[in-house]
Amino acid sequence: MAKVLEGPGMGLMKKWGIHVPNYVVVTSADELAKLGQANDWMKASKLVAKAHEALGSRFKLGLVKVGLDLNGAVAATKEMIGRQVGSITVKQVIVSEMVAHKEEYYCAVKSTREGSEILVANCGGIEVESNWDRVKRLCLEVGQSPSHEALEKLAKDAGFTGALTKKMADFAGKMFTCFDNEDAQYLEVNPVVVRESDGELVALDAVTLLDGDAKFRHPDWNFQFAAEFGRAYSKDEVEVMAVDSKIKGSVKFIEIPGGDTAMLPAGGGASVYYSDAVVARGGKLANYAEYSGDPPDWAVEVLTEKVCSLPGIKNIIVGGAIANFTDVKKTFGGIINGFRKAKGDGKMKGVKIWVRRGGPREKEGLDAMRALKDEGFDINVFDRNTPLTDIVDKALQKQ
Amino acid sequence: MSILANKDTRVVIQGGAAGVNAARRMAEFCYLIKRPLNVEAFVYPPDAGKTNEIPYGSGLIAIPVYKTIAEATKNHPTINTSLVYIGADRAMKGTMEALDDSHIKVVSMITEGVPEKDAKLLGAHARKLGKVFNGPSSIGIISAGACRLGVIGGAFDNLVLSKLYREGSFGVITKSGGLSNEIIWICSQFADGITTAIGIGGDAYPGTDYVSYLEMFENDPQTKAVVIVGEMGGDLEERAAEWYGAKKRRVKLIGVVSGFCQESLPKGMKFGHAGAKEGMKGEGSARSKSDALKKAGAIVPATFGALGPAIKDTYQELLKSGQVKEVVEPTALPRLPKTVEEAMKADEVMVAPLIRTTISDDRGDEPCYDGYPASELINKGYEIPHVIGLLWDKRLISKQEAEIIKRIMMLSADHGPCVSGAYATILAACAGIGLSQAVAAGLIMIGPRFGGAVTDAGRWFKYAVDNKMNVDDFLAYMKKNVGPVPGIGHRVKSLRNPDKRVKELVGYVKSLSIKTPCLDFALQVEQVTAAKKDNLILNVDGTMAAVLVDLGFPVDSLNGFFILSRTIGLIGHWVDQKRQDSRLIRLFDYLVNYAAPKRREVPPLK
Repeated sequence: MAKVLEGPGMGLMKKWGIHVPNYVVVTSADELAKLGQANDWMKASKLVAKAHEALGSRFKLGLVKVGLDLNGAVAATKEMIGRQVGSITVKQVIVSEMVAHKEEYYCAVKSTREGSEILVANCGGIEVESNWDRVKRLCLEVGQSPSHEALEKLAKDAGFTGALTKKMADFAGKMFTCFDNEDAQYLEVNPVVVRESDGELVALDAVTLLDGDAKFRHPDWNFQFAAEFGRAYSKDEVEVMAVDSKIKGSVKFIEIPGGDTAMLPAGGGASVYYSDAVVARGGKLANYAEYSGDPPDWAVEVLTEKVCSLPGIKNIIVGGAIANFTDVKKTFGGIINGFRKAKGDGKMKGVKIWVRRGGPREKEGLDAMRALKDEGFDINVFDRNTPLTDIVDKALQKQ
Repeated sequence: MSILANKDTRVVIQGGAAGVNAARRMAEFCYLIKRPLNVEAFVYPPDAGKTNEIPYGSGLIAIPVYKTIAEATKNHPTINTSLVYIGADRAMKGTMEALDDSHIKVVSMITEGVPEKDAKLLGAHARKLGKVFNGPSSIGIISAGACRLGVIGGAFDNLVLSKLYREGSFGVITKSGGLSNEIIWICSQFADGITTAIGIGGDAYPGTDYVSYLEMFENDPQTKAVVIVGEMGGDLEERAAEWYGAKKRRVKLIGVVSGFCQESLPKGMKFGHAGAKEGMKGEGSARSKSDALKKAGAIVPATFGALGPAIKDTYQELLKSGQVKEVVEPTALPRLPKTVEEAMKADEVMVAPLIRTTISDDRGDEPCYDGYPASELINKGYEIPHVIGLLWDKRLISKQEAEIIKRIMMLSADHGPCVSGAYATILAACAGIGLSQAVAAGLIMIGPRFGGAVTDAGRWFKYAVDNKMNVDDFLAYMKKNVGPVPGIGHRVKSLRNPDKRVKELVGYVKSLSIKTPCLDFALQVEQVTAAKKDNLILNVDGTMAAVLVDLGFPVDSLNGFFILSRTIGLIGHWVDQKRQDSRLIRLFDYLVNYAAPKRREVPPLK
């Protein structure tokens, strides 16, 4: 799942014939001022300026300003660019025209197991959230497109009448076309408004989630995907992502500030059970990590260094199920190198290491880990006969 | 009994290297259960018409590779199952091809990173045809004692430890590939092992879900209980719970769900597989799934760690009620033959080495020359001549010796386009021949008449010095036993037109305070020979030879100094011709003395 910011999201909707307000995405106030000279709409209409970053509650943070003239928008842009919110620095501002309107509606398309679902409501904005029962759905099987009749029935069911019924049906149809053709997983427009000047339905705000796995068939996806958890990726997270994109198999790393139990488990399934075990034991996770699919040892080494660099950690959980084809000896070799480097940098003082693993060349791998004791590591090594998450129990009991 | 994969399963594998690797793992399993290999064919257009060699026991089985599924099933009509190992961008097309083939009933996709839409389309298509589409991102399917599809089950030792050579009573369905193995192992240790284990893949919308497989397990009398390993996100576990609670089921259901950590993580942060996404209002959370399973009557251990004991309890109950019987393990199982490397590691065989080396070792993270790591040599300021010293004479030469070798190489790197070596390389370059062959053509010219006299010159000068011969005795000996003295004489240079290279080298070596008995002797020889005939001077080969023998290099390595240096020039000539895009060279006939018989009539063949 890959989140797309408003600008590129609106760009995709426009591509499939959905009316969107005029907008520009700028990185400086000067750029906006220059664009203002070139585009008549920026002088003719009232403007909205919003920080173009993956941030929640932008309104509360003062990162949305409405009803501006061009000078006001330039001033707002100047104020927003460079603002620091948590770990995110505002680098872009999206400036769009304010569309004069009275009514607000809601339209979304989401992915379901069978295919997709088109959602329509004849209320919008915050009103729809408190009136979720007014949202009407049209379920579609994968490969199936909605008929005009079905879309009009959906609009009618949602309470649209007269000429608006057909307009809403058309709008929902275009939303579906965009969703289907752009490999989207979720598209939401809230609100959809009736533009006073011409009576057309316009998408005022867009939430766009695309299927990152489909990027190979969308050469025009030239935008970056946004972090999904309301903060920027850290330097170490970005470095691990860069390694991940280069290798066979995968390595993953997310920091959780304030924790003291560091995770370095194998496999996307087992790693979550290890995290669960830490939480169940009352421990505090310092990170999430995972390596899987027999990644090269150097990639595991990079991941290990990042894990060892987490501040204030007391335990490192090197867990893993019985691998199918990941070479335990080789991947452990990467972890051991990472441990040695971290120790050389003075990072392993007072840190206990807990290992449990099985799989191809498990004996050699576990023996190599055990040998770290002789190098002065505080390490406890267990094989397949110790149940998966018991090392977490042992690690957290002893504290 | 089992589901999906059994003794009649015959497989086509779609894909390249990863598919071949899977076939090897599958062959190990077939060998363990003493059944013929279940892989009939590969489909991989780039290798169509070739075969893949799959080790089986101590032998190899050649499995044909086809361009299309249709060709594969036409030639191997027993094929009923396909495994997809095709890249995510092409997987959809290949999988459709398999689903549409009337022979194939089950398709399992291993490919990861397949777009959701493609997975849904494939799932829908398979359902329409009444076939099974398993995956994407599936580790595979294994039925104990019967059939392995993919790498599920891991290494051979693990197959044995997990008792996969004979069937047990537990079905297993997991999203995670790593955990499938873990559960198989747990079932073998806490109970009597598995019937079939299926990896459905960790994607958001797997082609086949728990319910379809639960239904199959319910209809498989051998399966007495099913273990499912779930994850937060989606509603597959809820649907499984719904199925289980809908009516009295024959099989017992044991389930665990991961993702409880989500409750204490920063909002929006998600871990694990692509499918592990929580809904907006808590649906799809680990807790809601767990609760749903419990409510439906499934056994839901509180943690993963409690899963083993839960499986044990279930097994004991089944034993008590007589639904399962104690298993009698087979006394002997086939052992996978060791590779020579493995057997050597275990001290089980001794292999006489084929070659012996005393100069270098590439087995570490970098090559070592005569024991010295290449990077350390570089970092400590050593240069090319030192590497030559290590690899040709197994010793670390001094700075002074290195300087002499460097000068020798610089002086003999090239000698213009007209000499045999360069001319041969140029001829080849102009004929469009590649670098290595064209340079080899030049090197082939090095011999007794061109550049190849260094070794011989060194040999005889050394012979004279070693035997304390005087110049006259030496010349007499050479005349009688060898012929002209190698290293003496030049085609164009003479006393009056001396070779500057010789002067330069001799001057430098003599300026150093080192003993040069060979060079001194060679110069004495020159005095005598040049007095007899103007061009019988010490040539560059002879000078190099004498100096290098004085430095202690083995006689047999001496031509190497010329070959190595001149290679620099030959490469230069090839590149030079290439850069100019030179035309093919053909001799003009006026450059040939046609001394062959005049044209005449051919007599009738007798």
